[in-house]
Amino acid sequence: MTQPLVDVVGLETHFPVRKGLLRREVGAVRAVDGVSFSVERGRTLGLVGESGCGKTTVGRSILRLVEPTGGSVRFDGRDVLATGGADLRGLRRRMQIVFQDPYGSLNPRMKVRSILEEGLIIHRLGGADDRLERMTRALARTGLTAAALDRYPHEFSGGQRQRIAIARAIVIEPDFLVLDEPISALDVSIQAQVVNLLVELREQLGLTYLFISHDLSVVEYVSDDVAVMYLGRIVERAPAARLYAEPLHPYTLALFSAVPSVEPGRRRRRIVLTGDVPSPARPPSGCRFHPRCPLAEQVCRQVEPPATVIDGHAVHCHVAARELQQAGGDAAVAAARMAALMAPTAASASPAAV
Amino acid sequence: MNEIQSRGRQSHGFWAEAWARFRRKPLAMAALVFVAMLAAVAVLAPAIAGTKPVLCRYKGRLYAPCLGYFDRRLEPTVFAKDRFRGTYPKNLAEKDPDSWAIWPLVFQDPYRAVRENEWPGRPANPAKDEGRPSRINLFGTDQYGVDVFAKMVHGTTIALLVGVVSMGLAGTIGIIVGALGGYFGGWVDMLTSRITEIVMCVPTLVLILAVIAIVEKPTIWKTMAIIGATGWTGIARLTRGEFLRLRQSEFVTAARAAGAGPVRIMLRHILPNALAPVLVPITFGIASAILTESALSFLGFGPPPPAASWGSLLNDARSNLSMWWLVVFPGVAIFLTVLAYNLIGEGLQEVTDPRLREARK
Repeated sequence: MTQPLVDVVGLETHFPVRKGLLRREVGAVRAVDGVSFSVERGRTLGLVGESGCGKTTVGRSILRLVEPTGGSVRFDGRDVLATGGADLRGLRRRMQIVFQDPYGSLNPRMKVRSILEEGLIIHRLGGADDRLERMTRALARTGLTAAALDRYPHEFSGGQRQRIAIARAIVIEPDFLVLDEPISALDVSIQAQVVNLLVELREQLGLTYLFISHDLSVVEYVSDDVAVMYLGRIVERAPAARLYAEPLHPYTLALFSAVPSVEPGRRRRRIVLTGDVPSPARPPSGCRFHPRCPLAEQVCRQVEPPATVIDGHAVHCHVAARELQQAGGDAAVAAARMAALMAPTAASASPAAV
Repeated sequence: MNEIQSRGRQSHGFWAEAWARFRRKPLAMAALVFVAMLAAVAVLAPAIAGTKPVLCRYKGRLYAPCLGYFDRRLEPTVFAKDRFRGTYPKNLAEKDPDSWAIWPLVFQDPYRAVRENEWPGRPANPAKDEGRPSRINLFGTDQYGVDVFAKMVHGTTIALLVGVVSMGLAGTIGIIVGALGGYFGGWVDMLTSRITEIVMCVPTLVLILAVIAIVEKPTIWKTMAIIGATGWTGIARLTRGEFLRLRQSEFVTAARAAGAGPVRIMLRHILPNALAPVLVPITFGIASAILTESALSFLGFGPPPPAASWGSLLNDARSNLSMWWLVVFPGVAIFLTVLAYNLIGEGLQEVTDPRLREARK
């Protein structure tokens, strides 16, 4: 196994909650609370979870767009959290981000030329002629022409804007891209185009992706590995095919059951979770999922489940760990058991509930 | 994806589009034209009303004595040497029969009353309370017989300068203070916000009166400086709000991801987006600065004589209220100018604020 390009260990990003006249810190929103993963060069890690689970904060923490409060992030062997000034700028050339909303992420007062050129100027890449060539090349890669350079963002459609945002990210030739819900704000008809573009770019430029999304089918299509996040933690992580075939964590199972099936004959039974996601300011004890988990036991309320790893498939769940043990380490058998355990709740659930 | 290239039309930026929308607003445009006209009047004042030729030929050379209205030193010394004593028409004809001159549109002086036969065949300006508006004195004369129209034309400069200079100063201070507080937050914001609040508590008019009482030579520039130095609080607050809001925007985050530093982000990314909403209170501020100056002049703390602002004309009217023309004409001029700036501000707000704009494509 080669050295991973991005290695995140125990990442914590807490936002202080201040109250009162003196703005005393009364607590913290634990948006990201102990997240570890690594992405090898040329591979894509999909990060899924419902809104508010902290997946966006993970992406931004890695790029230091929000300051992490703990843990470590290593990029190509270098400690991202310890760098500053010129070193950080150098790292930022190699790590870029594409945001969800292509209407908000492009400065409305700047022409596409200035938007693309900015990174080149900051990182002193190329002279004036060379810059134009680089920009044209980046635009061509994203399916636009140099004619776009002299236009303003509002003259483009959502899909085109997202292409511009992608061009801005790749024009400075980074190694690693954080794709923060890059297609969620786009029309469905455009989503496939942009996803295919991203896959193409990964092959052509040898990019490494952290693909953040709540769209499970897109993540499955794009990613090599998938991590499922719940309330600031990763609850399950596995190679994409394994995770989708043999989900072990009750939350993953519930998440998958919510994906509408296109096959009319095969009606999936919906697992409906009760209650709301707890506040990340006061996360539950033990397993964070226990208040909503139909399989929760006494131990889940008290002990935080450690990772149980079988052939690169990691799951943080007491019940799943026991099932795996009983199945003698056969993930397929354990996954079937887990699905069966979850099934009764699916049957009794009312269809109106979400 | 190819529709972009085929569209050949010119690409318009935010301000070009705002201007296009502004042009379709008749009231705002009328106000803008009015202010532009005032600016023209201010610049051309000596050619509109005065007793010095705009251009004249005297003893074989060309002179422009009217420049003396801008600055005494610009008046050619020849005329002082030849003892013109400021009276051109008769002297020119007597001392050089071959001379000719182009006169201002209205032969009236803002600083003194025109005497009898100073202009061939014309009577002296009426003084006391008899100088009601006439064909010769369009807006009447004051109690010393000085033409009100000429005074007002030459006072236009002050009215415009007060607004533009003081708000230029206020805008600069306000944007810098607001930008620093809004962008950096934390203790910087705490500090700038408290300073803003303290300055906000200072009553401008009282401060100006106090300063004028203390300084040796009160000039209009000092008044402008004080109006500017106290009038930036609203602008600072608004700028702070805009910077706070835009600092969170994704294009700023994107710029940070690209490695941009705080200066670049503030100047290139946030300020251009914050400028439009900040320009609106600046425009309104110009209107209120003009009002403040008028109020000061009315109280007798205006520019030192002989320069006259519109407000000081109103002050003259206090001593004799039967001279209604001393109230009406300057009053209307102040009113219209303030109204014009307010209309421009409102128009600006409507064309730049997307929430006030109707359908946007």
